Amino acid sequence: MTWLIWRQYRASGAITAALLAAFAAAILADGFQIASHWHSILLACAGNSVCLQQEPSPVNGVVSDLPYLSLIVPVVLGILWGAPLVAHEFETRTTDFAWAQTVTRTRWLAVKVGWLLLAGAACGGVIGALTTWWSGPTNAQLASAFDPGQFDTQGIVPIGYAVFAMALGIAAGTLARRTLPAIAVALGGFIALRLVIADLLRPHYLAAVTTYYNVTGSFGPSGQAWVLSQGAVSRTGQVVPEGWGSLYAALPASCRQLLPSGPTAGKSASLSAVFSCMQAHGWRGFVTYQPASRYWPFQGIETGIYVLLAAALIAVTFVIVNRRDA
Amino acid sequence: MSWVVWRQHRAQAAIAAALLAAFAALILVTGVQVASQWHSALAACSASRSCGNLSGTLFLGSHAIGFLVIMTLGVPAVLGMLLGAPLLAHEFETGTSQYAWTQTVTRRRWLVARTGWLLLAAAAVGGVVSGLVTWWSGPDNGLQADAFKPGRFDIMGIVPVGYAVFAVALGIAAGALLRRTLPAIGITLAGFIAVRLVIFSGLRAHFLAPVTTYFPLGGGFTPAGSAWQLATGFVGANGQPISIPQSTNGPVLGVGLAGLPVSSLPVPCQTAGHGYLPAIASCAQAHGIRGYVTYQPAGRYWAFQGIETGIFVLLAAALVAVTFAVITRRDA
Repeated sequence: MTWLIWRQYRASGAITAALLAAFAAAILADGFQIASHWHSILLACAGNSVCLQQEPSPVNGVVSDLPYLSLIVPVVLGILWGAPLVAHEFETRTTDFAWAQTVTRTRWLAVKVGWLLLAGAACGGVIGALTTWWSGPTNAQLASAFDPGQFDTQGIVPIGYAVFAMALGIAAGTLARRTLPAIAVALGGFIALRLVIADLLRPHYLAAVTTYYNVTGSFGPSGQAWVLSQGAVSRTGQVVPEGWGSLYAALPASCRQLLPSGPTAGKSASLSAVFSCMQAHGWRGFVTYQPASRYWPFQGIETGIYVLLAAALIAVTFVIVNRRDA
Repeated sequence: MSWVVWRQHRAQAAIAAALLAAFAALILVTGVQVASQWHSALAACSASRSCGNLSGTLFLGSHAIGFLVIMTLGVPAVLGMLLGAPLLAHEFETGTSQYAWTQTVTRRRWLVARTGWLLLAAAAVGGVVSGLVTWWSGPDNGLQADAFKPGRFDIMGIVPVGYAVFAVALGIAAGALLRRTLPAIGITLAGFIAVRLVIFSGLRAHFLAPVTTYFPLGGGFTPAGSAWQLATGFVGANGQPISIPQSTNGPVLGVGLAGLPVSSLPVPCQTAGHGYLPAIASCAQAHGIRGYVTYQPAGRYWAFQGIETGIFVLLAAALVAVTFAVITRRDA
């Protein structure tokens, strides 16, 4: 069976390997440039963190878009490898031949699905590792590895996405028994689920930490924390998000009078008077965030969710293939 | 022939119409919210006279819808993969081309009807999506003045129509050449991304010669409206660029990104007036040193939209011509 898989997939395997090699070459060439640029910035700033954050990002050029393109790699794997895996066999009726051999259907499916999922996981892992390495200087400069978009391209989650997208394609192909509808379902399903989990579920994997501080001072969570929301809260518990537009309406009239009269005139002096006034009225600043130390637990939880979903889809596939009349 | 095309694609058309309707509903509902949020923020900031820093403090819409709007970048590629690539490849794979080509309808007419309707549908989908996104992004363009910036330019106006037509034409041509659906889908995706990247990051900035405006030291210059800023820096008397070190702890003329470190000036200026900054600035000015901003003015937005759309439509026309040559020359 393994030999058969190799024969069926050697062409697409070779193309994938060539594309991966090209991606790796581009990322490595660009990454070494960025790293050396970053080291010269580090030397010039000599440990001054304000200086570091004010430096222009060492990242620019076409290659800087490649890591974001890697967001679509899982769904491409799901479309081109996952969806046709069983559906194309049904369409061309090669299942009739394959299922009439001495190899059982379960073994046929187990070997096909097993090798393909392994290949998908390997692709996701290689691309995730390259992107993580490439993003090192950006992570160090902006402490943004936990932010949506960065979190999704780095660490171990790309492996989970790749395995899930493949499993979704395989299951959709088994149910629809036609390649094109399976491709559409894999594409739509993957994007929808990724959006729902990243936007609605991920902020709540662990209860977020909220820190209150004096409005006359300031507070920022240390390291690459993921800030979910921040703003001000009044004595009565009224929450106002960041930004003067919303704050202006909520301020006590006595504080509102202290606001700077012109758009730019004497900003810092007058604003500190407004902050003192807010302080006197019992306002506090707040930051709700996921601490930097939860980065790897979150990576683990997200990967786990996708691997579990993939396992469920694979189980469905096995049930359908085994129950189907030949 | 149009009847055959309708019969073949009515299921796809129904699904596409349903998805478009769902997208339109989402965009319309959230777009009205964004517009009212924008108007109340404008009212509040003009009351407190703080509209100057509104772009730094106000966030319009939600992250989810904002992300969905950015994801419309992928719509043309999806059309190319799911509608364009199978159009001819699937006929070859299932052998139905042999049946279609032995009817009274000529191959050329068969191909004209099929590609014509499909390209028209792709243009319509691209236009509707882009129209919705352009309307939704109106307040955000007003707030950030970023309609010309890479990424925003690509999802608004008429360029999405050009992208959609090109992606579908690429899918059709790839299917006609490869005669198998899956490889055609792979080529369509890779080819579309590659062409988009090359034009996006290599060509677009040079459609028209950019404008460079010089400003005196200590001052600054911001192009009006939603201009696309390409570069900024300092030049000497003969236009030679002045290299600015990555970081300096020494004194700086001007502030922020428009700041010029004193250590970058000609040696006589560095010690002028014993370090008195106005004296250093007038020395640098006497040496002809000034700042510059290179940009594409906001007035060129629609010219650029037209040029980019034209390029993609021409590429699409070339691909369709290749398809016709391949199909009419092929043995049945």
